[in-house]
Amino acid sequence: MRLMFDLPETEKRVFDAAVTPAEKLMYCMPFNIIEDRFVSGFIAVTNEKIYKILDDKLLAVYNLAGATGFKTEVMYGSCGFYANFGEGTTLICQFVSGRHLPRYAVLVKACEILAEDQSKTEPITNSERERFCPKCGRPFVRGTNICPYCLDHIEVYKKIFAMTKGLRLMMCFPFIVALFTVIFQFVVPQIQKLALNNYILNDAAHGQASEMAKFTMIVLAIISLDLFQRAMSVLQSRLAAISGNKFTLMMRTLLYEKIQSLSLSSIQRKSTGDLMGRINGDVNVAQDFIVNQLPNLFVQLASFIAGLVVMLIISPLMALFVFVPIPFVVFLISKFWAFVQMRNRRLWVLGQRTNHLLQDILNGIRVVKCFGREKSEIERFKDASVHHADQNESNAKIFDTIFPLLGFAIRLGSYLILWYGNMSLFNGTMSVGTLHQINSYANIIYAPLMYITFIPRNISNFLTSLSKVFEILEENPEVQDINLPLDIRIEGEVNVKNVTFGYESYNPVLENVSFHVNPGEMIGIVGHSGSGKTTLINLLMRLYDVNEGAIEIDGVNIKDISQNALRTQIGIVLQETFLFSGTIRDNIRYAMPHATDEQVIAAARIANAHDFILNLPEGYNTMVGEKGYSLSGGERQRIAIARAVIHNPRIMILDEATAALDTETEKLIQDSLNKLTDNRTVFAIAHRLSTLRNADKLLVLDKGRVAEFGTHAELLENKGIYYKLVMAQRKMAQSVIENQGIS
Amino acid sequence: MAEKDTTVKTDVKTEEKDTKVESAKKADTKPKAKNDIMGDGSDDGDLILENERVSINLTPENATFKRSGGDLISLDIINDKGEPESFERVVILRSFPVTNPNEFLSVREPDSKKQGRGKEIGMIRYMSTFDEATQALFKEELDRRYFTPEIKKINSVKDKFGYLYWDVVTTAGNVTFVLNNPFSNIRILEDGRILINDIDGNVFEILEPQKLDSASLKKIEIYL
Repeated sequence: MRLMFDLPETEKRVFDAAVTPAEKLMYCMPFNIIEDRFVSGFIAVTNEKIYKILDDKLLAVYNLAGATGFKTEVMYGSCGFYANFGEGTTLICQFVSGRHLPRYAVLVKACEILAEDQSKTEPITNSERERFCPKCGRPFVRGTNICPYCLDHIEVYKKIFAMTKGLRLMMCFPFIVALFTVIFQFVVPQIQKLALNNYILNDAAHGQASEMAKFTMIVLAIISLDLFQRAMSVLQSRLAAISGNKFTLMMRTLLYEKIQSLSLSSIQRKSTGDLMGRINGDVNVAQDFIVNQLPNLFVQLASFIAGLVVMLIISPLMALFVFVPIPFVVFLISKFWAFVQMRNRRLWVLGQRTNHLLQDILNGIRVVKCFGREKSEIERFKDASVHHADQNESNAKIFDTIFPLLGFAIRLGSYLILWYGNMSLFNGTMSVGTLHQINSYANIIYAPLMYITFIPRNISNFLTSLSKVFEILEENPEVQDINLPLDIRIEGEVNVKNVTFGYESYNPVLENVSFHVNPGEMIGIVGHSGSGKTTLINLLMRLYDVNEGAIEIDGVNIKDISQNALRTQIGIVLQETFLFSGTIRDNIRYAMPHATDEQVIAAARIANAHDFILNLPEGYNTMVGEKGYSLSGGERQRIAIARAVIHNPRIMILDEATAALDTETEKLIQDSLNKLTDNRTVFAIAHRLSTLRNADKLLVLDKGRVAEFGTHAELLENKGIYYKLVMAQRKMAQSVIENQGIS
Repeated sequence: MAEKDTTVKTDVKTEEKDTKVESAKKADTKPKAKNDIMGDGSDDGDLILENERVSINLTPENATFKRSGGDLISLDIINDKGEPESFERVVILRSFPVTNPNEFLSVREPDSKKQGRGKEIGMIRYMSTFDEATQALFKEELDRRYFTPEIKKINSVKDKFGYLYWDVVTTAGNVTFVLNNPFSNIRILEDGRILINDIDGNVFEILEPQKLDSASLKKIEIYL
């Protein structure tokens, strides 16, 4: 992320005049709003002062020394950068939120450092991605690094060409067929002309057997040409289907493989919908373009150009007649399509709105019924439907009128030709055959016009889709194995050393976290939501790499252990238990697909799941997941535990594993957890402190820092955060008991 | 976020729906978004038992707003226990920024990294109960906080790759901005106003679309 913008000349002069030689310019970034105006000003921060510059004016200078309370505030439509320079909190500047907020978040941190110590003249750097094109300032396509305006087209074409390796020959075929189609288009009118001039309109030829035979030959020639061309096009469609399928399959597989290999961090930046869109939608767009659009485009362009050339050769004047209306027709078509599109789009929106409403209401049908709002909901839906129907009707009416008119306009050139051709015919300067031929060519030239107006849109859609696909294919996983990673057998000693980490590097979630865990110990992790508990777990699993510090397992930095070795020896049970569609057996064996049935049962027994599984109609073969048997939360949780223990991991992580359950079920699971914590290092996050009864040590996190670390007794003695939490939960439990007593 | 926008929009479209519900929804989603952007992730709802502040009704009798040393707003109140209390700086938020901007103003402590979300000190039922100088002070803060330039003229709207590139004249000067997903980011309110949320988080409004010059209106007709 850019933290040092260049000051334009005027602003630079202002800054140079104000700054003292001892100061060092460290950060410079734009601000956009003053009072009720959009402006283009700059905040320049030296190691001693903040300068606010607008055009040729120095609006304000603030001394960093001793300043406090630096922060950004998100407002409606903009953000503010605030600090207190001794006279109370003041607004330093106001800026456009989406564009500069991350930048100012870093500046806040930087200013806090400088306010304490002005000798720290080494600027903070930040590797966060910009969300805006550095060249033109326009935003990237969401979640990507693609600026549609600055896209390097040639680069994309090169890449796509490289990808078609092995399919090229097959992909060339449509073009050959296309070429043939074009030739055919021009040959047929030529033969027809012959037939007209020499036979049909030639009285001398009528009734002569030899001439009849020749004429039959001509007809046969036309028929066979037609047949041949159709045969070719059948072949082409088949080949297109095959090569298109191969191409899609290849792209899709590549994409999917890549997505699986990417780190969690880069995947989570994109939404599931977006990724699915890329695997399905964008690949389809690319396939359609390469297999269908491109050859078609080729045919249309070729016949258009060839038509013009042939026309010019036959009769330059006629060519002029054909050509003159073209700009007008193209203009008309593009206007017309804009209109049609607008109307179609509006119809689509109304349709969407109706669908959305329907979905909303059906999902909330219980609420509707309970509040007795059926009547008004019926009205609401009726309104939306009526809107939709009205728009549909008016669209149909208008389109049905305009389409024929447009057809007429496109034919204008033909009418000119007809008129002029007939004139020449009467003068005797042109034969009927030639007139027919020219008329056919005119049609050949006009037909592609409709299509040609779409070309720019098609190409840009294709390029955008492709570059979205390539972006994933070219991304490097952020968490990577080192060269020759270690496949160690984990004992379970964990040493976290001065770890600092943030999902956005300017905003640390964990700061300087250190603790040591002996093999076989159970560590309870406690803290408010947002204190960094789950983040710590993510780091232990190495789903993300730490920004600073290190995590060691058995004295080895986890960056040196292969990701596979690490994760297969850590078992994790999450709060949301996700079961895949499949049988219970499949789900338990997920981490160890070749586990024997014996192992499956053993794991289920540890998880206290065996009994309830056997009570299901199909035992371990019962289907679960979206389409299967619906299990209760506790049952799902126990299957998840079985899944986590089947490969006998040395380190177990329980992330709020029992939070969503009632106490009865928790008790059952607690028992199962006790079984599996024997001899394993266990990290357990829990809101309910009773869950952590058996923990050897407790780690209390507060705002990303280790607040307390020790045994239950030690922490109670300290009377810190843990003590407060325990007391609070006791109080709550008591009041629950009291209330129950009353009722 | 996008999904939420659509819901809100559907609500606006249907006349039956109470407008206040709609804005309340919006007000609901706002602090969340804010929290996300700030990234401090503080959700102190669950286990904190610290002294809860009781929100009081703020009137000229119990509250004095003044321009603070930092050119923002400071507040002195007599709290619910009858004790005087001072705030170096307060933030004023609208409960219904879209449908009822001048009533139900929430006066809060500013958010801070140490203490998390600022708590509500009190509520101003009607802004007009305060004297003009104070109202001007409120207005200044509210205008800043709810920066919503009005679009006066639309020079061009270009649709490229599903993104709309706008070039407009607003009350805050000429701007170009980019919009994606126009059907959820352009909202038509029941009073005919149009609200536009761009990709950067700017908000623009068109007070009376029908009064725009015909060339401007034509450019946005398709999205209405």
